[in-house]
Amino acid sequence: MYKYIIRRLLIFIPMLFVLTIFVFGLIQAAPGDPITGKNFDPNIDPEVFERQKEALGLNDPIHVQYWNWVTKVMQGDFGESYIFKGRDVSELIGERIGNTFYLGIFTLFITIIVSIPIGIYSAKKPYSILDYGATTFGFFGLAVPNFFFGLVAIYVFSIKLGWLPSQGSVSSPGLTGIELFLDKLQHLILPGLTLGLAGTASYMRFMRSEVLDVLASDYIRTARAKGMTNRNVLYKHTLRNAMIPIITLLGFEVGILLSGAVITEGVFQYPGIGTLFLSSIGNRDYPVIMAINLMLGFFILLGNLLADIFYSIVDPRIRYD
Amino acid sequence: MKAKKSWLIMLCFALVFGVLAACSGNKEPASSENEGSSEKDPVSGGTVVGAMDTAPTGLFNPIFYTEAYESNILSFTHEGLLTQDKNLDFIPNLAKEWTFNDDQTEVTFKLDEKAKWHDGEPFTAKDVVFTYKTIASPGYVEAGGVRTQYVERLLGYEDFSTGKTTDFQGVVAVDDHTVSFKFAQPNVLALSDASFSIIPEHIFKDIPVAEIPEAGASRNPGEVIGTGPFQFSEMVQGEQYVLKKFADYWQGEPKLDSVIWKVVDQAVILGLLENGEIDFVADPNGFQAADYETVDALENVEIIEQPDFGYQTMGMMHNHRSKEDSEAGTINPANWTVNEKLKDQKVRQAIAYAINRQGLVDGLLYGRGIVQNSPIATQFWAYDDTTPNQYEFDPEKAKALLDEAGYKDVNGDGFREDPNGKEWVLNLNYPLGNQIRERSAPIIEEFLEEVGISIDLRQPKEAAAYFEDLEKNSQDWDLYLIGWSLDSTDPDPSGLWSSMAGYNYSRWNNPEADQLLKDAFTPPDAFEQDYRKQKYSEWQVEFGEDLPSLILYAANSLWAHNKRLQGIDVLPYSFLNDTHLWYVTE
Repeated sequence: MYKYIIRRLLIFIPMLFVLTIFVFGLIQAAPGDPITGKNFDPNIDPEVFERQKEALGLNDPIHVQYWNWVTKVMQGDFGESYIFKGRDVSELIGERIGNTFYLGIFTLFITIIVSIPIGIYSAKKPYSILDYGATTFGFFGLAVPNFFFGLVAIYVFSIKLGWLPSQGSVSSPGLTGIELFLDKLQHLILPGLTLGLAGTASYMRFMRSEVLDVLASDYIRTARAKGMTNRNVLYKHTLRNAMIPIITLLGFEVGILLSGAVITEGVFQYPGIGTLFLSSIGNRDYPVIMAINLMLGFFILLGNLLADIFYSIVDPRIRYD
Repeated sequence: MKAKKSWLIMLCFALVFGVLAACSGNKEPASSENEGSSEKDPVSGGTVVGAMDTAPTGLFNPIFYTEAYESNILSFTHEGLLTQDKNLDFIPNLAKEWTFNDDQTEVTFKLDEKAKWHDGEPFTAKDVVFTYKTIASPGYVEAGGVRTQYVERLLGYEDFSTGKTTDFQGVVAVDDHTVSFKFAQPNVLALSDASFSIIPEHIFKDIPVAEIPEAGASRNPGEVIGTGPFQFSEMVQGEQYVLKKFADYWQGEPKLDSVIWKVVDQAVILGLLENGEIDFVADPNGFQAADYETVDALENVEIIEQPDFGYQTMGMMHNHRSKEDSEAGTINPANWTVNEKLKDQKVRQAIAYAINRQGLVDGLLYGRGIVQNSPIATQFWAYDDTTPNQYEFDPEKAKALLDEAGYKDVNGDGFREDPNGKEWVLNLNYPLGNQIRERSAPIIEEFLEEVGISIDLRQPKEAAAYFEDLEKNSQDWDLYLIGWSLDSTDPDPSGLWSSMAGYNYSRWNNPEADQLLKDAFTPPDAFEQDYRKQKYSEWQVEFGEDLPSLILYAANSLWAHNKRLQGIDVLPYSFLNDTHLWYVTE
């Protein structure tokens, strides 16, 4: 098992390497650069921007630029942002990754505790009122765009009722301890629910169909024939098997949640990775784009690895060596 | 089993409501009861919250910042020697008075002795020298600085900035509170040049220029030091920026305790204004013209509407720069090739008559803007709204002009052909990023097709790609949309429209117009405002005749504030003026 994990981790390196070459080429191929078109001020001589481009090395051939970047990254230096002048990329990401992480965990938590029980129940009593209700909710959740649900939630819960804060990740600087924790939690509720809605809806549907599939299989019929209680059939035999595909999906979900949720973060002005990523692409802030890509690549690979490890826990037949 | 489950649900509810309750408990603002009674007298204390829709990048140093969002914060914390009043004339700020020498190459300022830095150090002439010297230093541009326009006219700038000499002659401290600016030539812009915000020498003197942008003194709350009425004291990066009053402020202690800037999404600004969570919204984006009625209906909110220092325009390519020159960034009118499709002045004038610009203002801006005919901000003394051709919407006249120029529909397809009977299609390019402008493009296409001009409306591009194309790959462009924001310090339009200007994307080459711009800037006549005004008026007529660009409209600035915020005295270019006099009534 440990050997397997180490082997998988080692494979990450060439994969990420190929990823960086690919992404670097792509963003350089896109028209525009970090300087042109920014700060369009008739009083600033275009010559100034030309000198800055030269100073940033943007006029070098692409392979030289890539080499400069990759050798620095090998030494753990992700460089300075072109747009957030004077700030290290690692600092910029570090400041936001926490927020994205909390939001991701909170969303995942909501998704799991809501969708899995409802999914199981719907499968246990298919075509019941609750099943229809859940299905309706599922389609609703999938159909409503995130930003719209977010705006409605802000309007109702923040502006009209005044229960929850609508913007940002914390209400004021200088909070500490339990106060800070509660304050951050409050700020997570609306974006977390908004993001969780779509996730809940789809996982509920997955869970329902997986459980239904398994319930119809031969070994479950055998188990029932042996006189096993419904409870044991459901929780001991059915769930374990039904969870396997869900775990694969959750593995991906970890990577996706950590990549931030651009739209939801935007509506709630929640400073996470998503909005940073989007604005970096618009601004052609190459060092930030590259660093976030590398990080996302890593998390998605890691999410898959975790999913594989969980398989072996859920299903004893799966063994790695 | 049942009992255990319901216990769990109860726990969940308890948690959720606990969090909700804790939240609504925090909502109550910390207002002092005893001071709400008299509305007339400015009272001290209180906090106001301003909203901006994008987070500042976090570089709070006047000589290095580039974005309006930083400027929002720096307006409270830093000051220059001079500022501008409502008529855009320069008035004393950190400098009490000034005198010019006889040939206008030197101006000497007496500084206010009361002014202090936030850390208690006195403000002196050395700080002024240091600020200008830093901007003129070698490596300033490479470190990301863009404000060289304030130093390039100073005596000895070339030699100092290229490192030929280490002796900076441009700004000299005569004594602690007297400073002289020396210029290479008599300088019409002397006061404008001297109006830049000052940074403290004692904080930055040991930091090399290249490291100033990353220094704590340029970015951390508590470490950013200015002379302004408020100091930058706390922040949540990307979300909130807290400015506390500077009790020792030289113009008197500010009334407000603090000003907080919050970053909020454009879509919720109105809701937050309504429920009082934010007190004001101003530059750079204010609120949307489409929301005017809604904001106007809010009882607790007041609107401030005034013209903006900027305009949207449709450029017409007179000439094209060669591919090689574009790559090299060279501007040499001798290498330009004439754009045959727009060569005829009558055609350009026809285009101007064919577009209903008032219609664009009414339809897209809900009337919250003005039609402007020359590229000088209307607030300036230099803007002439009478002599230049006003190009009232007149499609018939447009058609007549096109006929006259020989552009007629010979093959009966509804579109005009060029005088040789060949197909004549003008392309129209536009960038993404400004919704009103994006929506104006297809409307302009319709107006032009109405008079028989065939238009190829190109796919819009996002800003970074569009401007690169405009710089380098615009050899086949005809019409292009672009917006400019102008500086409020001086009306001189030569940075955009003289033939040698990099931003003269239409590659307009008109020697007479160039000469007028030069005259308006040449001492000694140019020290007379009336003389400049006359020259600019003549230039605007020339611009209107030759039309390198059709100025479409200037949107109004739409700012709003809660009525409890009093003492506001806005300037034509800024909401943030005399903030030490701001106060709240409740």
